Amino acid sequence: MFLAIENPLNSSELIFPTLECMHILGFAFSVGTIAIVDFRLLGLGMRHQTVGEVASDLAPWTLIGLALMLTSGPLLFSSDPDMYYLNWVFDLKMVLLLLAIVFHYTIHRRATMPGTSALRSKVVASISIALWVGVIFGGIFLAFI
Amino acid sequence: MPLLEFAQWVQSTEFFTAIRESWYVYPAIMSSHLAGIALAGGMVLMVDLRLLGLAMRKRSVSDVVNQLRWLKWAGLAVIVTCGILMLGSKAEEYYYNIFFRVKMTVLSLILVHSLVFRRSVYSKVSEYDKTGKIPGRAKLAASLSLILWTCMVICGRGIGYIEPPLDKLHARVIQQQHSTTESVNRSHVSRVPSAIVWKLPDTHGMRSQMERM
Repeated sequence: MFLAIENPLNSSELIFPTLECMHILGFAFSVGTIAIVDFRLLGLGMRHQTVGEVASDLAPWTLIGLALMLTSGPLLFSSDPDMYYLNWVFDLKMVLLLLAIVFHYTIHRRATMPGTSALRSKVVASISIALWVGVIFGGIFLAFI
Repeated sequence: MPLLEFAQWVQSTEFFTAIRESWYVYPAIMSSHLAGIALAGGMVLMVDLRLLGLAMRKRSVSDVVNQLRWLKWAGLAVIVTCGILMLGSKAEEYYYNIFFRVKMTVLSLILVHSLVFRRSVYSKVSEYDKTGKIPGRAKLAASLSLILWTCMVICGRGIGYIEPPLDKLHARVIQQQHSTTESVNRSHVSRVPSAIVWKLPDTHGMRSQMERM
């Protein structure tokens, strides 16, 4: 049913790289804006603002990035599902991505609210950065495995 | 020393040979390069979008521009370091890569951009706070920056799509030994061979034979 050769996405050589660029721009928006909040939680950058102010300023841009990323990603996947299906790094990446998104909208969001201890802020920020960097490593390594 | 010979010498050094020959170091550097793009890219985007009056409008322009400046430069330093490591390990291949050349041209335009607009825009942002207006040249600077960085991403991704001229490389291409999904491995995800082993140039001026193992 899902043969790579029958997928319209594979009809032009330009579609896959274009989607890849969208994917990169998407995570520059999403991971980039989340990282600004993370660095603020770590006490770096945007210190004239509270963590909550930075987080609420950036939330819509994070969402735009996630939308770009989660549109281009499945389309890239659909170009050759077999390759991804058999790739254990891809599985790992999906697990990390799920964890990162859930973490972002639960524990991470709570840490941006007032009354979070300095230690908790730093731990949450470090976990957030580690999860997202892990997702990016997964994205590159799945092509090398 | 001509550029090509220099590239061949650089990639033949012990350090860069080690990077190239390890199956995981090169992708790890590439991942760090991308992680740097994610971390610093967001800051570049937010600074430019603030100058355009689109993002973080509740904050003053100077707050956004000045408070993200050093963090942004730290991220760019990571990107550049990883880029140099990738370049050094496959210097000869990059030498022939048209997208790499375009990317370096765009990079030099970005340097020109920062020289041109540093004085006239980025060090004047506190004035924009007072007047409450963002002048046209600041918006021009932000737009150009967004365009140039997008071009960097496109060229960067494009590099991986150029087939290396195997008959010209003084290196032996080894296919990945560790591949678990060889039969379904997509060639166009990463067309650049995973490991290239340096081989001394032939003294008779003949190109060393490329062997696919």
